[in-house]
Amino acid sequence: MKLHINIHKERCKGCGICVEVCQTGVLVLSEKKNERDCNIPEVVAMDECINCRMCEMFCPDFAIWVTEEEEEAA
Amino acid sequence: MDAGRIRHPVDFYLYQDKLPFLWCPGCGIGIVINSFVQAVDKKLPTRDHIAVASSGLSCAGKIPEVLTFLEIKITDDKLFRSAALYKRNNPEKKVVVFFSENDLLSSEGKDLLAVCEQKTNILAILINTFVYQIFIEHRKLVDVPFSASTSGNSDSPFNIPHLAASCGASYVARWTPLHCRRLKSSIQKALDKEGFSLIEVISPCLMYHASCGNLGKSLDRMGLFLKNTQILHNEPTENVDLRESPKIKVGNFIDR
Repeated sequence: MKLHINIHKERCKGCGICVEVCQTGVLVLSEKKNERDCNIPEVVAMDECINCRMCEMFCPDFAIWVTEEEEEAA
Repeated sequence: MDAGRIRHPVDFYLYQDKLPFLWCPGCGIGIVINSFVQAVDKKLPTRDHIAVASSGLSCAGKIPEVLTFLEIKITDDKLFRSAALYKRNNPEKKVVVFFSENDLLSSEGKDLLAVCEQKTNILAILINTFVYQIFIEHRKLVDVPFSASTSGNSDSPFNIPHLAASCGASYVARWTPLHCRRLKSSIQKALDKEGFSLIEVISPCLMYHASCGNLGKSLDRMGLFLKNTQILHNEPTENVDLRESPKIKVGNFIDR
């Protein structure tokens, strides 16, 4: 099972709650800005993600969510 | 990543043109909506029969506008009366009322007590930010001393869980947005209850508290709430007054 963090850039308001609640430091608030001039979060360490989905629960604007993708059979 | 290709699991319950929401970044109302939608998503028989109501006043009154459930928009000071009337005419519906602390006692007080005593099957979610006031007499009912009133507040604020519990509410709980998983399970429990249930959510307001008191930025405010809360399930509701203890007592207080 492979995890993927989806970030909807147009919805993000740059509050930084997802960065704060992430226990393993997967996310970081980057310097990149969206069209609303807000700093959007960025995935820096995808291997650390433990699928707790706290970022998905806490996001006030439904801008971040975790999906599980089936790995292709070798 | 193509965001349009993969949709958020609960996008079905939200109007897409209302996103991002109108509330400030760091506000607790978005987290309350997230908890409510995720709670409703798992409850299949109840999910199709939900009607949301609000008076449209204040930030908390705008919550039904972004949800795709059946919306009942009621004018101020007739919120609970009209919601109870709707519930009586449509018994299969589950009415969820979103309101702020201004609606609670200033304009809705007598109706709240009546609905509570008649055990009407309504779930009321109160977003308490301690700040909302239109007239100066609204201030005295629910404000706490560090709130936005410039001249302070001399009266003791109401103990809202005790008020609801003493009038015969079936389910009373208090949470902050930081306890969003507990809030979610609390909403799920309250949707199954017969009779009036009230959930108080103590939420930080960024705009008004920024000007008075060194409470910090939005994330510091959230951390302050997490640090100063104490989870006490089944605590007698006369002990959960905000002024009684330095800690904010949260938990499921009444479940009957």
